[in-house]
Amino acid sequence: MTGIIMFLAALILLAVGYPVAFTFGSVALFFGAIAAVVELLPDPTLIEVADEFFSMFSMMPFRIYSIMNNTILMAVPLFILMGIILQKSQLAERLLESMGILFGKVRGGLAISTVLVGTLLAASTGVVGASVVAMGVISLPVMLKYGYSKKLATGTICAAGTLGQIIPPSIVLIILGDVFQLPVGDLFKAALAPGLVLVGCYILYIVIIALVDKRVAPQIIVPEEEKKGSVGRALTAILPPLTLIVMVLGSIFAGIATPTESAAVGALGAMVLAAMYRKLTRKIVMDASLETVKITAMVFAILIGATAFSMVFVYTGADLLVEEFMTGLPGEKWGFLILSMAAIMLLGFFIDFIEISYIVVPILLPISQVIGIDPMWFAILIAMNLQTSFLTPPFGFSLFYLKGVCPPEVSTVDIYRGVVPFILIQVLVLASIVIMPHLYGL
Amino acid sequence: MLEKTEKTIGRIVNGMGTVLAVALLLMVLNVAYDVMMRYLFRASSVGMQEMEWHLFSVIILFGVGVALQHEAHVRVDFLYDRMLPKTKAYINIIGTFFFLLPLALLIFFGSFGFVHDAYVMNEISEDPGGLPYRFLIKGMIPLSFAFLIFAAFGYLLQNINNLRKGS
Amino acid sequence: ADKVRWKLAMSWSSTLTPFATACNNLAKSVEEMSGGNFTIRVEGAEKHKAALGILDMTKGGQYEMGHSASYYWKGKDISSVFFTTVPFGMNVDEQNAWLYRGGGMELMQKAYEKFDVLSYPGGNTGVQMGGWFQKEIKSLDDLKGLKMRIPGLAGEVFAKLGVNVTNIPAGELYTSLDRGTIDALEWVGPGMDIKMGFHKIAPYYYTGWHEPATELQFLVNKKAFDKLPKEYQAILVTAMKAAAADMYTDNFADSADAWAQMKTEFPNIEVKEFPKPVLQAMKKAADELYDEYAASDPFFKEVLDSQRAYMKKARAWTNISEFNYIKTTQELAE
Ligand code: NA
Ligand code: NA
Repeated sequence: MTGIIMFLAALILLAVGYPVAFTFGSVALFFGAIAAVVELLPDPTLIEVADEFFSMFSMMPFRIYSIMNNTILMAVPLFILMGIILQKSQLAERLLESMGILFGKVRGGLAISTVLVGTLLAASTGVVGASVVAMGVISLPVMLKYGYSKKLATGTICAAGTLGQIIPPSIVLIILGDVFQLPVGDLFKAALAPGLVLVGCYILYIVIIALVDKRVAPQIIVPEEEKKGSVGRALTAILPPLTLIVMVLGSIFAGIATPTESAAVGALGAMVLAAMYRKLTRKIVMDASLETVKITAMVFAILIGATAFSMVFVYTGADLLVEEFMTGLPGEKWGFLILSMAAIMLLGFFIDFIEISYIVVPILLPISQVIGIDPMWFAILIAMNLQTSFLTPPFGFSLFYLKGVCPPEVSTVDIYRGVVPFILIQVLVLASIVIMPHLYGL
Repeated sequence: MLEKTEKTIGRIVNGMGTVLAVALLLMVLNVAYDVMMRYLFRASSVGMQEMEWHLFSVIILFGVGVALQHEAHVRVDFLYDRMLPKTKAYINIIGTFFFLLPLALLIFFGSFGFVHDAYVMNEISEDPGGLPYRFLIKGMIPLSFAFLIFAAFGYLLQNINNLRKGS
Repeated sequence: ADKVRWKLAMSWSSTLTPFATACNNLAKSVEEMSGGNFTIRVEGAEKHKAALGILDMTKGGQYEMGHSASYYWKGKDISSVFFTTVPFGMNVDEQNAWLYRGGGMELMQKAYEKFDVLSYPGGNTGVQMGGWFQKEIKSLDDLKGLKMRIPGLAGEVFAKLGVNVTNIPAGELYTSLDRGTIDALEWVGPGMDIKMGFHKIAPYYYTGWHEPATELQFLVNKKAFDKLPKEYQAILVTAMKAAAADMYTDNFADSADAWAQMKTEFPNIEVKEFPKPVLQAMKKAADELYDEYAASDPFFKEVLDSQRAYMKKARAWTNISEFNYIKTTQELAE
């Protein structure tokens, strides 16, 4: 119960508009104090309550230290730096414009290109902040410049940026591998088809919506006199930055770098590329670096606030409530699948995916085994579902991260509205995996 | 007087921003160097590898204060955007007092023991060739939150000055 | 009776069998033996998010208990390695005899005194495997420049032999070994390795030398322990011992199952022993390392001497009993 009130309190206070990170943290503080009182009922004394409260929050340095030495998270600043350098040197703009031109008469070319570039990035990182922010700085300004609706632009970026969770490598899949006791490599292989289908569906949606509503994704008009050889010119503009992104992937596949290290290859490569185009000045490098520092700090401040929030959330016993509900799910295949998927999606609205994985899955797993549900199939369903949780308002992390790099005219509500169609697509793809697993090789 | 203090704090926070920007570039070179040494020369140094996350930690911890001054922290803005500058300033002042400062103070004071333990034990890396003096990197937690509190005062002044200019 | 509610933090997630099972067993038997009055809530790393903060958190009293491995505190006190396992050290029987009858427990409490905690054996994994290798190790030269993830003392031994010891986060190990970013890694044994899937990407599985008897540990906050009623103290100590013993059995059975499964599904896995000259060099490097640490740390020397002396005696018995029996039956089977 306290957990639900805590969630509502966070919701209301967030709406006031003070920075998300500190709001999360202070809600945790307040409810931590309440939890300390409740813990000591019926006769709490001030000293005991204070003791309980400080003991709870003395966990914070440990949690912060765990974030500090989680080297996988280094991908966040590295990818953001790559994105900002590509943007500041205008290489990103030329890449997307040229890809847009190559799509010719097909409307929505910029958005489709964003999904494609996002897919490539997704194949080299599994950290959500890294790809969402990188895609945000690379493609949002370009799409807005060409008159794309804020809704479509932000929705596309959030969705493309979150692909990293389902397209391997991915932290979600690694954690599910641990909980399900399935080899991570097998999960990676199994997630590939669903991930690519998702990419296909995003593109299909963009093509259709751009046709139906001509205002949301205007065509890139190439002036008549420049038309000659524009395809050739577009190709030459695409090649270098695309090579860079492929090199990032290549460095992993060739065994040169780990996925996280490949992000540094990307950042350094972007600087070399910018230098080749004579766009690299000391000012650009320092500006890009400072901007990256600020955005990275914004991402991690949210992580620190959220870790305080989830610490207290669990402390109030909210996880036990969830446990109780899950244990009561029906023992019949379709009822179980539908209800468990719905429950996970609902939880994804407000608690983080690691918590969900470890609280919910151990309860659902034995039931699913009794019913005879293939664990690999079930794991992929949950992964897909958790991926959606990064997108769902109000607490979807992708939304906050993208907001952090948006120009002021794009509001949180634009982003919230923008992701709705993409969430629906995810639900449809999820449903298709539930109904026709064989199509995905599951 | 208030404006002068605001400017001074602002300059120091900006100076930190520049330091962190350089640290980030060093981190990129650090990772790239480690990749190159391992791949080309089959020579890894665990110490150099640990240096990566040491730099990373400094960036994410101290960056929080820098981001505050530069208004880089995310807000849910559907109401905030429609408010008068005066209301915004009030929200920021009250929020900083009741949301930011308590949290920052709690983490600041709450991490002394954490750092002290590492110092007394003379804790070092547990891996072959890793870095010594773990208390230094652990000490970045209270230091960075002290810096955040410092930056928060600048931010308070900034908003108070905005209020006074407005009225 | 007094109501006591404790919390225990693990270095692992709450789904990691059989490590987490040991803690759940402990909590269950403590609750049952105390008639429901003494309860322990077990929290995995996914909750407290500080897998390597267990010692600090038990010391600080955020948790009354912890479940971890002593050698994780090598950076705080090098002597802590002896209470888990060391390269070329004792096997499980020998080590248990040292702990309970050879003065090991006393030395362990002495080591943990400065942390204001008590440490008890927390379950053994037995011999850990030497790791998964992409190429065969035929001579010392093959170790030179080999890119391997191998932490702790074993890493220091390998570093002395020219191995390129490197740190890779657990989540990236599979991709790194698969793509050749590293050439080899060590993990635990079949039971836990099978979940990581290394057997699908590396052909050689080397036998163990570096962790012959990895004993986990229960940590108990000393102040909290002293505050317990006498009978609860007895319940706790007994329950820890039972949980540790059960974990050793569970781990043995899990590994036997997993190894049978691996062998059937992947008959091409080649189990290898390091060649004798390589092992000799490893042993020499390990002894040199111990002597270096002993020269600068009197307590390290004290524990080292105790283990060396005990092992000499115990191994003589192992040789004519366990070892000889296995050798004899092995010869009969052939
Ligand atoms: Na990914
Ligand atoms: Na091991």
